[in-house]
Amino acid sequence: MYFLLRYMELFLNGFILTVILTVIGLSVGFVIGILTAIGDVYGGKILRILINIYVEFFRGSPLVAQLFIFYYSIPTLFNTIVDPFTVGCIVFILNSGAYQKGYIKGAIEAVYADQMMAARSLGLTKWQAIRYVILPQALRILIPSWTNEFCSLTKSTSVAIAITLREVTTIAYIVAAQTFRPLETYAFVGLIYFLWIFAVVKVLDIVYKKVRIPGFGEGVA
Amino acid sequence: MTEVVLKAKNLWKDYGNVVALKGVSLEVKEGEVKVLFGPSGSGKSTLLRCLAMLTIPTKGEVYLRGECLTSPGVDLNKARARIGFVFQNILLFHHLTALENVTLGLRHVLGMSKEEAEKKAMEALREVRMEKWAHCYPAHLSGGQQQRVGIARALAMDPEVILFDEPTSSLDPELTGEVLDTIRMLAKEGRTMVIATHEMLFAREAADEMIFMDEGKIVEVGPPEHFFTNPSNERVKRFMARLLEKRAWWE
Repeated sequence: MYFLLRYMELFLNGFILTVILTVIGLSVGFVIGILTAIGDVYGGKILRILINIYVEFFRGSPLVAQLFIFYYSIPTLFNTIVDPFTVGCIVFILNSGAYQKGYIKGAIEAVYADQMMAARSLGLTKWQAIRYVILPQALRILIPSWTNEFCSLTKSTSVAIAITLREVTTIAYIVAAQTFRPLETYAFVGLIYFLWIFAVVKVLDIVYKKVRIPGFGEGVA
Repeated sequence: MTEVVLKAKNLWKDYGNVVALKGVSLEVKEGEVKVLFGPSGSGKSTLLRCLAMLTIPTKGEVYLRGECLTSPGVDLNKARARIGFVFQNILLFHHLTALENVTLGLRHVLGMSKEEAEKKAMEALREVRMEKWAHCYPAHLSGGQQQRVGIARALAMDPEVILFDEPTSSLDPELTGEVLDTIRMLAKEGRTMVIATHEMLFAREAADEMIFMDEGKIVEVGPPEHFFTNPSNERVKRFMARLLEKRAWWE
């Protein structure tokens, strides 16, 4: 195991890149998820069709194929080369946004349509009602599935090896090849993922309990 | 002559194949209390929702102080802010305390500051005797208390008319009593109200006029005594007999 210590700096840098890709994908994807979910629930027909084309493309095709399309295919069409980090960010944002749209839409629909009517009866506009009544309730419901998306995306970023990004799994691949010690190397990288995900999930659980609405969403809502 | 606050002219509403309203007209005057009653599915809720423009009628006109709300280009949000609505299933905002439920409209529709809104909201909560529970979440209140907050939420906006859609039908008799007391008090203050309810005892003392609806139409209109002594329509007679029988059983 001690040979791994020599590669600590590499692993650390790889881990930081993994976290950066996850955080960017998750947070910008969240904004995209909210906008597309609102568009899909409250928008017109054409908007809904466009949103669903986007979502089905990113949910329905392999992540590695999406990375290749954005890293090789599209730049080739325009006869140019793109930076793998930028491509990684774009693909993880769009991919996670598509999944988050599904979760957020479900959460919005779990807030009864009646709440919208009660808000409108006071004279609130549709946007005000979404902002002050629907989203505050929906986002609380969302946290458990959002926790899931965090776990899933963290591990998905390892596919970035396909476009030469040196995130932590890529580092493990390089180290294993150099040292001929794949067993220890991959066990170690697995442990890094596990501890990181475990810690963040615990934090999100605490957040979920903190912002919980008293008496709301406990058992059958 | 007292001014007409809310007026419906030949309202029709259909949901696909189901026609819920078939040409209903009515006028609500300043300070008047009207009680709507009739069997389930007779169109009471639909009529109230159309009057508040929460549901857009298929045909016909709604006027609020002479302004036609059904003509295109009317700012319905402004109009809705002037019409209070109390729901059968209460519909408080679950994530907000009683006080915040009441201040929401004051702050974001009427544009009051937080302090102003809270002061005004506390007045409304005091009026329905809920000031002690101002900082409770809806889930921690009884159904009757929730509905009183629902009334305060409508009241705080200083509406020109308040519409009640069976405000007590989801409550047990004791809780019904406390909500009806609140509405009675509002009637005494001279508020303009339209109330859909089957609480006949309450209707008898509080209503200026009662309206019987059946199958999307107004069947009979008159002062409460008329319905208790001598309704003319057969359908109304049968319905009244059933209601009074139920009351006799309770007593």
